[in-house]
Amino acid sequence: MGLLTILKKMKQKEKEVRILMLGLDNAGKTTILKKFNGEDIDTISPTLGFNIKTLEHRGFKLNIWDVGGQKSLRSYWRNYFESTDALIWVVDSADRMRLGDCKKELHTLLVEERLAGATLLVFANKQDLPGSLSAPEIREALDLNSIKTHHWLIQDCSAVTGENLLNGMDWVVNDIASRIFTMD
Amino acid sequence: MSSEAKPQSKKKEGFLRRQAKKTDFISEEELLRKDSVTPDDVLRLGKSTEKYLCPPEANIYGIDFTRFKLRDIDSNQVLFEVAKPPPSYDAEETEEQELADPDEDPNAGRFVRYQFTPQFLKLKTVGATVEFVVGDKPVNKFRMIEKHYFRDRVLKCFDFEFGFCIPHSRNTVEHIYEFPKLSDETIQEMVQHPYETRSDSFYFVEDRLIMHNKADYAYNGGGGQ
Repeated sequence: MGLLTILKKMKQKEKEVRILMLGLDNAGKTTILKKFNGEDIDTISPTLGFNIKTLEHRGFKLNIWDVGGQKSLRSYWRNYFESTDALIWVVDSADRMRLGDCKKELHTLLVEERLAGATLLVFANKQDLPGSLSAPEIREALDLNSIKTHHWLIQDCSAVTGENLLNGMDWVVNDIASRIFTMD
Repeated sequence: MSSEAKPQSKKKEGFLRRQAKKTDFISEEELLRKDSVTPDDVLRLGKSTEKYLCPPEANIYGIDFTRFKLRDIDSNQVLFEVAKPPPSYDAEETEEQELADPDEDPNAGRFVRYQFTPQFLKLKTVGATVEFVVGDKPVNKFRMIEKHYFRDRVLKCFDFEFGFCIPHSRNTVEHIYEFPKLSDETIQEMVQHPYETRSDSFYFVEDRLIMHNKADYAYNGGGGQ
């Protein structure tokens, strides 16, 4: 609270934050991005490239990058690591079949040098679907407790209803803000 | 003015540099004489250009704008949307007219004329989305600079670096921003003088200008749309 006030005074206008949203295809990255920005979500097709939103949120200029998650696109993810302040990893909590893949891809990212300082938010998405796993179950399945290199949080959410999207995003911004503050 | 590669890393330096150059205007004539126009060059332009600063052939990456959408964030109403049919590599270019002024002009494909109502100038927060496709080559350091002017006054300048674009990709970017606050007099002037509000959109790959699009705007529409 006090912290954010100080930050605001410091350089709010210039403070740009880069958030990279990744995850397997069909995890709901684009839906999260659109819902968070109050856009219609009924006509979303697979992302064959990237979707970017730039917006002001609590005095920060957020640049959010959603890069397609299809297998053929994953080798391009590394082109988007540079200067990333936060990584949002989106999980389809109802896709039990691919949780192994999901875990593997996430842990591959976490050893990336260029993502070393980044905050990590895991969105356990699709909580509105029957049979979806809970956040603690996803935490277990992705072995999040083993992560010592990044500040991380898992947040259950539903991109369709919008539930908890803002909570997750606020945590990301707070975490980045506190880190910037300590470094200065 | 030398055109050495600009320092990459420090955002702050870039900012100061740009601030410094704002007072250091460059003329369109000077830029037309250059082999290749850089981002720093166009940031120093003080008004909309008469000509295009690169030929259409400079776009060797097959970058093609396929959709443009404007929405009012406060009401989530789509104010304007125009889309091209999905491009196919063998199709002829005739469909392009949908985005363009129907004049018989080789530059028709890169000029758009917009007609809005006066209410448009009262909007608070808008989201402008563009969608573009990329050809079969990867694109590095893709950057957009878009400047909006009313006469010789800069209303808004966007400067955004997309960075890398995946070959054959389809990408979107939405800039959500506060509409510049304009005085009542300015608004009235803009309404009374259609097409004196103009914009130049410059696109760079690795700091070389590869596309230049223009638009002009009228705000005296009586509704209808």
